[in-house]
Amino acid sequence: MDSTKKHLRSAVLVAGAATLALAMGGCSAGSSGASGGSDQTKNVTINVVLASDPPPKSELAEFTKETGITVKWTNLDWDSLQTKIAAAATAKTYFADATDVDWSRVGQLGKLGWFYPMQKYLKTSSLKADMPQLSSFTVDDKVVGIPYDASFMVTTVNKELFAKAGITTMPTTISDYTKDLQQVKSSGAVQYPLDIPFAAAEGLSTYWYQTTGAFGGTVLDKKGKPQFTSPDSAGYRAAQWMISALKSGLVSPGNINVTDSQGMQTLMAKGNVASVFSDYSGNVGSLYNVPDSSSVVNQVQYIPTPGADGVGPNLSNPDSIGIPVNAKYPKAAAKFISWFTSKDTQVDFAGANGPDKVLSGYALPSRLSAVDVLNSKGTLVGGDVLAKLLKTRAKPVFPEGAPSWYPQFSNSVYTNLHAAAAGNMTVDAAIKAIAQTATQLSSGS
Amino acid sequence: MTVGLQAGRPVPGLPRRRKRIDALPWLLVSPLAIFIVGLALVPAAYTIIASFFRVDELDPPTRFNGLDNFVHIFQNGAILSSMGNTLLYVLVGVALSTLLGIFFAVVLKQKFRGRSALIAILILPWALPGVVEGIIWVNIWDANTGLLNSMLKSLNLIENYQVFLGTNHFVTVLLIEIVQVWQITPLSTLLILAALQNIPDELYEAGSIDGASSWRAFTGITLPLIRPGITVAMVQAVIATLNVFDQPYVLNGAAATGSSVTMQTYFVTFQNLDFGAGYALSLIITIATLIISFGVLKLVYRPVEF
Repeated sequence: MDSTKKHLRSAVLVAGAATLALAMGGCSAGSSGASGGSDQTKNVTINVVLASDPPPKSELAEFTKETGITVKWTNLDWDSLQTKIAAAATAKTYFADATDVDWSRVGQLGKLGWFYPMQKYLKTSSLKADMPQLSSFTVDDKVVGIPYDASFMVTTVNKELFAKAGITTMPTTISDYTKDLQQVKSSGAVQYPLDIPFAAAEGLSTYWYQTTGAFGGTVLDKKGKPQFTSPDSAGYRAAQWMISALKSGLVSPGNINVTDSQGMQTLMAKGNVASVFSDYSGNVGSLYNVPDSSSVVNQVQYIPTPGADGVGPNLSNPDSIGIPVNAKYPKAAAKFISWFTSKDTQVDFAGANGPDKVLSGYALPSRLSAVDVLNSKGTLVGGDVLAKLLKTRAKPVFPEGAPSWYPQFSNSVYTNLHAAAAGNMTVDAAIKAIAQTATQLSSGS
Repeated sequence: MTVGLQAGRPVPGLPRRRKRIDALPWLLVSPLAIFIVGLALVPAAYTIIASFFRVDELDPPTRFNGLDNFVHIFQNGAILSSMGNTLLYVLVGVALSTLLGIFFAVVLKQKFRGRSALIAILILPWALPGVVEGIIWVNIWDANTGLLNSMLKSLNLIENYQVFLGTNHFVTVLLIEIVQVWQITPLSTLLILAALQNIPDELYEAGSIDGASSWRAFTGITLPLIRPGITVAMVQAVIATLNVFDQPYVLNGAAATGSSVTMQTYFVTFQNLDFGAGYALSLIITIATLIISFGVLKLVYRPVEF
């Protein structure tokens, strides 16, 4: 009995010691990470984590030669990356020196102070004129990330499938666009001419925002109050139009489980649909005109957004790169960001100076000056249209910056619109549920 | 007559010797103990405590809020719906994986050519990550280009491609769970096969002499004697199905028709940054796992001696 007690006591002691050791280890790891980082910029290695392929080795080597900064690149999928950013920031521990700042997280990040204001390291005021989407990453005058591509939502059409239906003049209003799609369907060119990604995922939310913009409205006002509750509102009509397109056979019933990228890759790129109303800018060059992944090479073109009474806007969903406050080498990271988002680097990444310098999957430069260079060299597919749209039509989804509760709101948007598409609720009920979420969140309850 | 010293008893007149502590067993067990304490007990204790606090990065500071996290969880429609789905995942998953596990174990106990190769192939789905399995099965269930639709159409069983996932609640859960069953059945099979191989052949011979049919031998000898193996297989299936995430997320997105509690935990914790509610949800999953596993133990487990 005595022996058992002794063993038990020893076991408890060992467990206690181990717990203490781990707790101390955890504490020290946490505190060391939040030390403010080093200003060293020579002979350091920085970790860059993005949901993107790395730049070509030769480009990174050139950067290292110029600056003495070695870049260790990690490519993580977007969801995992956001989880890691949140987990590391909450634990106040080091994760990366430079990483993704998504437009939809700007409200949260601005409030949380997880990223350094870029003004601390770069002269951001001089970037504004050349980077129209910088405003998407500005909260309370703090720039939390520098956009490195100029992704915005744009309508694409397969002109050959449209031509088969006798349509050669592209529609400029949403009613003409709908009629044209019906004509394509009735001509038999394709069974389901339109792609709408109705899977319960972020792509459905952004599709709805873009369609709402096309109908002449916005989703939320400056205070975050819903602007789509009335049946006459743009958001309501946009949701109605999307679900009607599904019910009337313009969209395949199977699209209730199709995500945005899946639809572009397996439907539009394979000629199974004739149009994507809210496509990614740059997809014509980086997907539809790539023979390995597409059977519609040279058939797809960008068109100005068909709106309620004429050409509508193109809402932006760009990616940017920022510096977490727990970065080890923030100054070196800033140097990298400056290089990564410079005009010359963007021109290289977009393929103007040969395939060796291309960043795989790079859509469209965030700098107008880089877009102009590509356009003048003729290396940007649909460059004239894209450049014009970027300069004159692209605007943020939320002009005041995404609210800090955006992820919750978006979750409500895509789950309810998906449920309406799947026939599990009416459009009216879906809109009411989304509006209720927005009202609750914006009132802080 | 031999006179000797009794072990452990001090000899009168001699100085008392200090008992040496044998450190080796402690040394050997300490890595595992540190591992378990550090990676299981400490986080578990932290989760239990933190679930009674408001831990929200967007609403600092961290403060005690009693049972509020739990109250909010049970007032949240999406979470309640996911609890219903998860219960279905558990029922379907545990039942199917156990039945299939018994079936495959009985088949694999027979000696036949290629048995080892078959076991190796059978284990493959277990070794694949859930996300990869989800992607594989997307290509089967897909309503636009899926293999199942293609097969059914070529057999003239359907006229148009059908939407399998997302419309009907039960069918959606069932089809998603089939994917998970495909993943967890190999382990169930191996656990039950191990129990099956412990049964002495003499018992079957005795049964045969008594005129027992194959079915009677299976129900009278095999099933009762593999109950410990079945119990372990069912408990691992309970743990896996209660924590299902990858398959519904990849196959059905965040849709309410297939959303699981762990998916909701992810949304609450990493999208909404409400870590307190996330801890509370994790604690609920842990308690549910313990209760259901204990129920399985009580219902299914019986000690077996040969």
